[in-house]
Amino acid sequence: MDHLLPNLDACATEPIRVPGAIQPYGALLVVGFADLDVLHRSANVAELVGLDLKPGDRLSVFPDLADVCDQTRRWLGGDDYVLLCVVRIGGRDVQLSAHRSEQGVVLEFESPPREEDVSLAALYPRLRDFLDRISRASDVSAIAEEAVREVRALTRFDRVLLYSFDDKGDGTVLAEDGNGVLPSYLGLRFPASDIPPQARDLYRLNRIRLIADCDYQPVPIEPAVSPLDGTLLDLSRAALRSVSPVHLEYMRNMGTATSMSISILIDGELWGLISGHSRAPMIVNAQLRTACDILGQIVSLQIGSKLQAISSAERLELKSVETRLLGKLTVAPSYQRGLAGHPQLWMRLANASGAAVVVQDNVLTAGETPPERAIRELAKWLFDEQHDLLATASLASMWGGGEAIAQTASGVLAVSISQIRPDYIIWFRPEVVRTIEWGGDPTKPALGESGRLHPRKSFDMWKQQVRLHALPWTSAEVDNAASFRASIQTLVLRLAEERAELTDRLEAANKELESFSYSISHDLRAPFRHIVGFAELLADKEKHLDAKSQHYVQTIKEAALAAGDLVDDLLHFSQLGRSQLATASVDMNKLVKEVLHTLEPETAGRNIVWKIDALPHGYGDASMLRQVLQNLLHNAIKYSKPRDPAIISVRGTEDDRMTNYTVADNGVGFEMAYVGKLFGVFQRLHRAEDFEGTGIGLALVKRIVERHGGWIGAKGEPGVGAEFTFALPRDPDKLKRKTTLG
Amino acid sequence: MADLRPILLVEDNPRDLELTLAALAKCQLANDIVVARDGAEALDYLDSKGTYKDRPPGDPAVVLLDLKLPKVDGLQVLEKVKKDPQQRQIPVVMLTSSREERDLVKSYELGVNAFVVKPVDFNAFFEAIQDLGMFWAVLNEPPPRARLKEA
Repeated sequence: MDHLLPNLDACATEPIRVPGAIQPYGALLVVGFADLDVLHRSANVAELVGLDLKPGDRLSVFPDLADVCDQTRRWLGGDDYVLLCVVRIGGRDVQLSAHRSEQGVVLEFESPPREEDVSLAALYPRLRDFLDRISRASDVSAIAEEAVREVRALTRFDRVLLYSFDDKGDGTVLAEDGNGVLPSYLGLRFPASDIPPQARDLYRLNRIRLIADCDYQPVPIEPAVSPLDGTLLDLSRAALRSVSPVHLEYMRNMGTATSMSISILIDGELWGLISGHSRAPMIVNAQLRTACDILGQIVSLQIGSKLQAISSAERLELKSVETRLLGKLTVAPSYQRGLAGHPQLWMRLANASGAAVVVQDNVLTAGETPPERAIRELAKWLFDEQHDLLATASLASMWGGGEAIAQTASGVLAVSISQIRPDYIIWFRPEVVRTIEWGGDPTKPALGESGRLHPRKSFDMWKQQVRLHALPWTSAEVDNAASFRASIQTLVLRLAEERAELTDRLEAANKELESFSYSISHDLRAPFRHIVGFAELLADKEKHLDAKSQHYVQTIKEAALAAGDLVDDLLHFSQLGRSQLATASVDMNKLVKEVLHTLEPETAGRNIVWKIDALPHGYGDASMLRQVLQNLLHNAIKYSKPRDPAIISVRGTEDDRMTNYTVADNGVGFEMAYVGKLFGVFQRLHRAEDFEGTGIGLALVKRIVERHGGWIGAKGEPGVGAEFTFALPRDPDKLKRKTTLG
Repeated sequence: MADLRPILLVEDNPRDLELTLAALAKCQLANDIVVARDGAEALDYLDSKGTYKDRPPGDPAVVLLDLKLPKVDGLQVLEKVKKDPQQRQIPVVMLTSSREERDLVKSYELGVNAFVVKPVDFNAFFEAIQDLGMFWAVLNEPPPRARLKEA
């Protein structure tokens, strides 16, 4: 709307509060508070009052003005803000309105309502009916409809409009009632420049204003300067105040001789106007104007409460979405993941069609959003511009990068979630290409060739297509986003606290577990050692024991030994979780050799065909990898015992990321149905008397491989053999270098 | 020439004590075995204090020290011995049920001479004790300074 500013500026210099004149449909006097002596008069005072009163005259000395003096003094002695009454002057009825000003008591005289006009008293039931009707109106436009119909019925204007102003000051006609004499403006938009800011201020101060005839001759005020304070007489609150010639020209251009405006004020702000027009000049008398003023206030209150209700309902709805979403976030691993995991709630929080959260350059999105790179750039721009909260319906008008992403992100509502980083939660709305119907081309220059201010001449519909704009964010949506941000911050703090507490508890639990396994190692092993030791001593001492007794002693010893092994294996298993990995490149060929050497006692006397390929180097903890090979080879030897020859092969492959090793045998194998049980602690697929063992070996292997970030799998077939393959990630440093080069 | 100074066995568990003694007996060592039942008693012996204030002078040939002991635990005894300039040449063999890494690391940090995890298998235990006894009590030459003092 920048192109309209020259117009506004030009108009703003018009002296509309102190025009020095009034409209000719009445007369005006300003009198002193104490003596009711004339301070100012309008030049036409004799026409309405019948007396050519001059400054310095005391009203009380004129017998004809006795009623005026009585009414005025009575009013001045009371608390009423304004006086509105019909007074008798020289046998005639005259309508008198009065208000106090710093420059005296302002008395305005008009013709009284004619016989056929409705009196204020008769208007009361009408207003009450009207109030009943609009109380039942379902929405703002229904209220507006009722209002324009009622105002036209009261005033008999040719056309009555109700328009509301948007945040830029542009007015849109919401409702219209007319008799066809004047063209319809329903739905049209009028630029903010049609009503300059100072005129808007006056609409707030003086809620109703009548221009009875656009071709009137202003009646001068004498004197123009107040004798009380030496300034021009302020007519802000005078009904008869003469208006700017620019405005009269505007009315002539519009083809309306008479115009009356009733302000709709909501929370003290000018929300809109009810505007009545007629082609021919007409006067709306003071009583009817007062009725219209009351009607305007009723409309203001009704629209205000309706908007409040709509806003409350919207806020309530948004709040319930927020509450539900926060509930989900509290159980999510992180709030970002929680948001991404509930895209619908996340978007509904601000009635958006897309959303993104940027935390430390990581972007998570929902719905329709610009590409991640653009979101990062947007977050960076928001941070650079120090936007703590931004709500715009046209990102492109603010940011150079906005036009490229206008399709998904014309509307942007962003809240910062970090003081130190470009971390934001952002909601997006798509571009909505709209057509605005202006009442005349608002972009036409306002200054004529003479350099004098001219209003627009044409009010014909002028269509404008608006691009790069989304539906604007409501204040409820913006407030909800801000409140959500606060909740997120609380949540993050709480999560951090909980995490710290959890870490403490985990550490404590870990310590407890450590001392538990320490106790097991020390205390559980000892009794088995004692059993074995004393059984041994007994066997040593009683060499004459018969075969059966010797078998018993032997069995005791073996059972205790097995239990001891079990404890050792379990300990080993639990230690794995805690001990540090000493990772390095490991020569797996050498490891296999070493392991086979230690397994020699078990292979002695067996017919085993070894097929050992050259293996790629692995990356890991050498002693743990030795354990893996030892357990796998031990198993291969053990389960191939029935074979002659047993065939055991070891082979390896590598790819970009992993090295793979396979140990295979032609032993008893296993059913694939049980493959899931193979790697569990104490899981055994064979009877103990067939194959001895603790059932921990493979669990240990799996744990070691997984601690290295690798995986292990098995294939088997009963009676044919088994094959175990484990994979280890390659040296991460080497991998990185490779990626950089490649 | 066998070193006939006594072996100090520090062990609180009576069964382990009996088994260890049996194992040592099997080795047929000529050395006396002095038994302390907790860390405090072991220190008293080493320092010739308390019950041992009148014991014959001289350091033991070797201390077989259980790790987990009442009152003063094995690591504390080890630390005190190895920090005492008069005693640190006494060989200390740690006996333990535990494979706990931290015990092992700590023992080596403190200057233990050997660390033996008591195996469940009595034969293996016997062999370990026998090896230890033979090595430290019979074969190991005391440091020259100690011999000098004796002479």
